[in-house]
Amino acid sequence: MTFKTRRTLWKCLWTFILLIFFVISVYPVVWMFFGSLKDTNEFYTNIWGFSTNPSWSNYAKAWNNAALGEKLINNIIVTVGSLLVLIPVNSFASYAIARLKFKGKRWIYMYLLLGIMIPTGVLGIPTFTVALNMGLNNSHLGLILVYAAQSIAMGVFIMRSFFVTLPKALEEAAIVDGCTRFGSFVKIILPLAKAGVVTQVIFNGLTIWNEYFMANIMITSQHLQTLPLAIANFTGQHTTDYPVLFAALSIATLPVIVIYVICQKSFIEGVAAGAVKG
Amino acid sequence: MRIGKRKIDTFPYLMCLPAIILFTIFIILPFFDGLYMSFFKWDGFSEPEFIGLRNYSNSIHDSLFWLSMKHTFIYAILVTVIKNVLAFLLAYILVRKVPFQTLFRTGIYLPVTLSYVVIGVLWSWVYNPTFGLINSFLTMIGKEEWILGWLSDPDIALYSVVVVDVWKWLGYHMVLYLAGMQAISKDYYEAASIDGANGFKQLIHITIPQLNSTIVVNVLMSLTGAFASNYDIVNVMTGGGPANSTEVSLTYIVSNAFRYSNMGKANAMSMILFAFVFVFGFIQLRIMSREDGYDV
Repeated sequence: MTFKTRRTLWKCLWTFILLIFFVISVYPVVWMFFGSLKDTNEFYTNIWGFSTNPSWSNYAKAWNNAALGEKLINNIIVTVGSLLVLIPVNSFASYAIARLKFKGKRWIYMYLLLGIMIPTGVLGIPTFTVALNMGLNNSHLGLILVYAAQSIAMGVFIMRSFFVTLPKALEEAAIVDGCTRFGSFVKIILPLAKAGVVTQVIFNGLTIWNEYFMANIMITSQHLQTLPLAIANFTGQHTTDYPVLFAALSIATLPVIVIYVICQKSFIEGVAAGAVKG
Repeated sequence: MRIGKRKIDTFPYLMCLPAIILFTIFIILPFFDGLYMSFFKWDGFSEPEFIGLRNYSNSIHDSLFWLSMKHTFIYAILVTVIKNVLAFLLAYILVRKVPFQTLFRTGIYLPVTLSYVVIGVLWSWVYNPTFGLINSFLTMIGKEEWILGWLSDPDIALYSVVVVDVWKWLGYHMVLYLAGMQAISKDYYEAASIDGANGFKQLIHITIPQLNSTIVVNVLMSLTGAFASNYDIVNVMTGGGPANSTEVSLTYIVSNAFRYSNMGKANAMSMILFAFVFVFGFIQLRIMSREDGYDV
């Protein structure tokens, strides 16, 4: 066998392996959309393919039965609210740790990084207790503050790695222009670390949008439920009407997938950015 | 006037303050509250009663707790090994010139963006005994004898859930390995080729050693993830059943807290779980806080 044919053979094998994993990764999601467009009968008879008679009625049913509109808004409130808290909080702290000289800096950084050692799973029950004492259970504000706090360790770590790469003389130049230090940070330095902010928005936005464990513990009122809670409950109630359930799943998934497909490059790089530097 | 001590510059501290406050109230305080409450008998409503180490001894003598811990270990080790081996392999393939590279990467990464709840419900249906994708596929290729009760058979259910967890995170780890491999200088490989080292030798002597820290980070992340965030998927897919065969520590802890109203014991078990995860978290923390040439 010549070198060239051997290489072609390898290439075919590699591509084939990738293709298998690609199909396994994507097909269940495609299948979910297919299923959401079938009626109950076809759902059981035409398992693999696209619907022969696609209808959107399942979506209307899912939307109305599970009050998904309300849950969607709740999810947006909690996700956007958390990002509005955590982006400034993490950016301020990581900027100081990365670029300013002050006593106890190393201790503050190590203290915040402790969060990496304490997994959220372990904190579930006691967070419920603390939030209970503060009257924050069963409220969006409570979830927002908890999510923001849980993002700090990783967030400060990631943002700091972006700030340290900026040129050293930056602050001096900014001060000369007559800005206050905070003003120069917001107007000049933060925009230069835009990639870090984008990373945090994607990384935390995705985590919070999909979060179930803490929401399940903290939220009890139906009208405050986030999407993952609503989907989990809906599943419990509609174990028989699968096409409608699949429509509900599709509604919950579609916004994320659309955003992902549009900006998949920054999505993938954003999530990878923090961990690779480790 | 500046005699003696210099004025302390408050600006850096003010910048750190919001993070410190939030972090203290919602991470550190709950942690110590959990530790403290683990010494009390408490149902979540009435007055807590101090009972010393009784919650711990109850947990330690609770065979179901140890069963759930055993499942957690099996789950974590399987998930970590399979995820990392497959992700490494896929990254190893993707790093060279293959057709449709971006499409493959985007597709395999897709499940990372989905929530555990959606994935759990979806895969319960993939595993469905009569109409699920897997069994209907097995029927299609004429392997009916391979058909199993993927989620209803207590001997298999845990492994079925492991597969779903691997499915969700494979793309994530693949991307991390890929980024690591792309960062390795081409010179190493060129030099090795000139010395006559084949692909396998290059993998053993260049790729793997160069990816050392990437591998460690990936393994630690999958370990902590599998130990302490497997509640969602197990709760949605099996709820710990059948016959407790998929009960993991987190589902058992949450059941104790809210179904059996035994907050004290739930906290004690959380602390025991933390003791196990602590080691991985500590190593990860050490790696992440390593000097990077810039003063901390």
